[in-house]
Amino acid sequence: MRTRKRILAVLLVMVMTAAMAVTGCGSGDSGDGSASDKTITVAFWDNNQLAGLKEIADEWSKTSGYKVEFTAPDWGSYWTMLEAGVSGGEMPDVFWMHSNNADKYMAADVLLDLNDYIEEDDAIDMDNYFKGIADLYNMDGVQYAIPKDHDTIAVIYNKKIFDKYGVGYPSEDWTWEDFAAAAQEISDKGKADGVYGTYCNVSSNQDGWYNIIYSYGGEVITPDRKASGLDEPATIEAMKFVAEKILPACPPPDSMASTGGDTMFLSGLVGMICQGSWAVNNFYTADNASDYAWALLPYADVNGNGQCEPSERCSIYNGLGWSISAQSEKADAAWSLISAFTSEEGQKKQSELGITMAAYEGCSDAFAEAFDGMDISPFVDIEEKGTLVFRPYSKSMALWDQDISDALVDVWSNPETMEDTLKQLAVQMNKRIAEE
Amino acid sequence: MKKKMTKKARIEAVWGLCMIAPTIIGLLVLNYYPICETVYQSFCKTGDFGKGNEFIGVTNFVNLFQDAEVFSTLFNAAKYTVFSLPATVFLSLVLAVLMNRKMIGRSAYRTIFFLPMVCAPAAVAMVWKWMFNQDYGLLNHMIGAKINWVTDPKVAMIAIVIVGVWGALGNNMILLLGGLQDIPKDYYEAAAVDGSTGVHSFFHITIPLLSPMLFFIIQTGVMGSLNLFDLPFMIMDKTSRAWPSVKTISYLFYEYAFEQSNRGYGAAIVMFLIAIIGVLTVVLQKTEKMWVHYD
Repeated sequence: MRTRKRILAVLLVMVMTAAMAVTGCGSGDSGDGSASDKTITVAFWDNNQLAGLKEIADEWSKTSGYKVEFTAPDWGSYWTMLEAGVSGGEMPDVFWMHSNNADKYMAADVLLDLNDYIEEDDAIDMDNYFKGIADLYNMDGVQYAIPKDHDTIAVIYNKKIFDKYGVGYPSEDWTWEDFAAAAQEISDKGKADGVYGTYCNVSSNQDGWYNIIYSYGGEVITPDRKASGLDEPATIEAMKFVAEKILPACPPPDSMASTGGDTMFLSGLVGMICQGSWAVNNFYTADNASDYAWALLPYADVNGNGQCEPSERCSIYNGLGWSISAQSEKADAAWSLISAFTSEEGQKKQSELGITMAAYEGCSDAFAEAFDGMDISPFVDIEEKGTLVFRPYSKSMALWDQDISDALVDVWSNPETMEDTLKQLAVQMNKRIAEE
Repeated sequence: MKKKMTKKARIEAVWGLCMIAPTIIGLLVLNYYPICETVYQSFCKTGDFGKGNEFIGVTNFVNLFQDAEVFSTLFNAAKYTVFSLPATVFLSLVLAVLMNRKMIGRSAYRTIFFLPMVCAPAAVAMVWKWMFNQDYGLLNHMIGAKINWVTDPKVAMIAIVIVGVWGALGNNMILLLGGLQDIPKDYYEAAAVDGSTGVHSFFHITIPLLSPMLFFIIQTGVMGSLNLFDLPFMIMDKTSRAWPSVKTISYLFYEYAFEQSNRGYGAAIVMFLIAIIGVLTVVLQKTEKMWVHYD
């Protein structure tokens, strides 16, 4: 009897260890086991782009003989995954970089130095890309990522709402004052229906008040990224305009803090919002897509001549980059894939497929045509009719961005405190930058 | 003198160890190692990706005690505990007593009250977030008022407490039900003979005999609610002006350690929290003898 029990126990232990070994192997396999031979693993965060990128990658697979395996978690999980990958040693071969985190990753030697590859590859020349993006992924002369795309901002409006209240559609010669006046008119007339003119939350910076600051000639951070621009007179003027003219035409701050601008717009409760080119698909595939139209961002008539100079119409732009893990054992193949994504041909294809606009200058025209039945040319037009300003950043951006956001929450409820708050913020931000 | 183990006992001990080895190894690797690492990091200025940690002594703790936000977020966590715990204990006790009677559809009710426990907390929070929405939410629609549930600094904490209590009721009710069913019926019968009524019996038989379970619920409740993180994180938007009034110290830790990659300071915050919870636990344990009766 006792022996039988003992045998049973041993068997049990064996089964358990065997099971553990099998599952252990399983998880190892998906990481680098099966990937070791002819598979390149690619990670990014925007599922919207998966189908298009796959198409370009499939094309590349035909010539290279490598398979490409994609994973696209959401934004938050993506960075957690990468961070864990760096510490735990399991990184995808190829992945996206973003201005929020680029400095940190470049400084930590986890991205592959691409200089030699760039030199040897005829298809890649850094001068062909938007300078802001190329510079962003360059630290001390070493290029750590090849620009993937760029985005711009435009105004999307709901024709039905404008028609209903008899307000003229946004046009190219609108100033920000005109924008605010039209928004106010909709808010006034739509009061009974709970409809508002526009939406601008504290967090709507890249697709909101950043653009206004730069159009007015202000800045968030100086071009050398050594000092805050929040206390400059032009910045203060722009933000006072936001507080006095834009916010009154928006839903109450409490409503904005509990419902997103996209949601409100798509529900027909807001007349127009500023949106980034990365979100086009979201509106293109919406139920009421036929009611929507895009317009150029307004300008600020700083010199008062009644005409728009390119410097008075600013769109913030940002761009992602393709990076290779410094630990990748298939760096050559990984580079070949990146090169396929970022060469002139690959960038044109990216626009044609409507994935995003190109980081390669002059390759984005096709993007405007990519959405059948929806004219999104304002995103491309602003490159000629306005100025693209690279999204403000510095090494300590995560910190000062949070400070600004925290402080502005109060201002949104008490707009008259805007000037004082900005001046305090500038001091705080300069301190953060000094500590970098 | 320690007795020498017989051969049989030794073999049995070895086998015993083998059997629990998977759990022990799991605990060591997944719990104890990170704990030690956190203690160490709290004395460091940490580098990105766990590289380049620089030992700076107690600087993080010195900064911590001068950081007003640490205390305001701790206060928020304490506020949550003070509001939610009594309500949870009281309501789950009432529910447990009701669910312990013979009644039609008893198991259906028990299931309904236990249901929040089997839902993913994130999903629960998302649903509540929509119910709380001031403009389009179900709650305001039903009561026909316009309460800024999650954006008014005066109300937001109450909203969080409501969800917290609702979520914790089921589990505590089941625990108390278990405790109630352990109480022998004879006590009540004997008391009834002596003329004790329902309410009197409740306070003089039920409560004292249930006290070990109540103690357990209060103790785990204190720990859990001081650690509160998921509800404010999921339900509130950070651009809400009510955010500072519900931001908990666990969230502050998350903000520093994960959003700003300042692991060292984050670790110091969490060590501070552990110390507070530790002290409270000791105090609770000391008071145990005063009111907890084990048969």
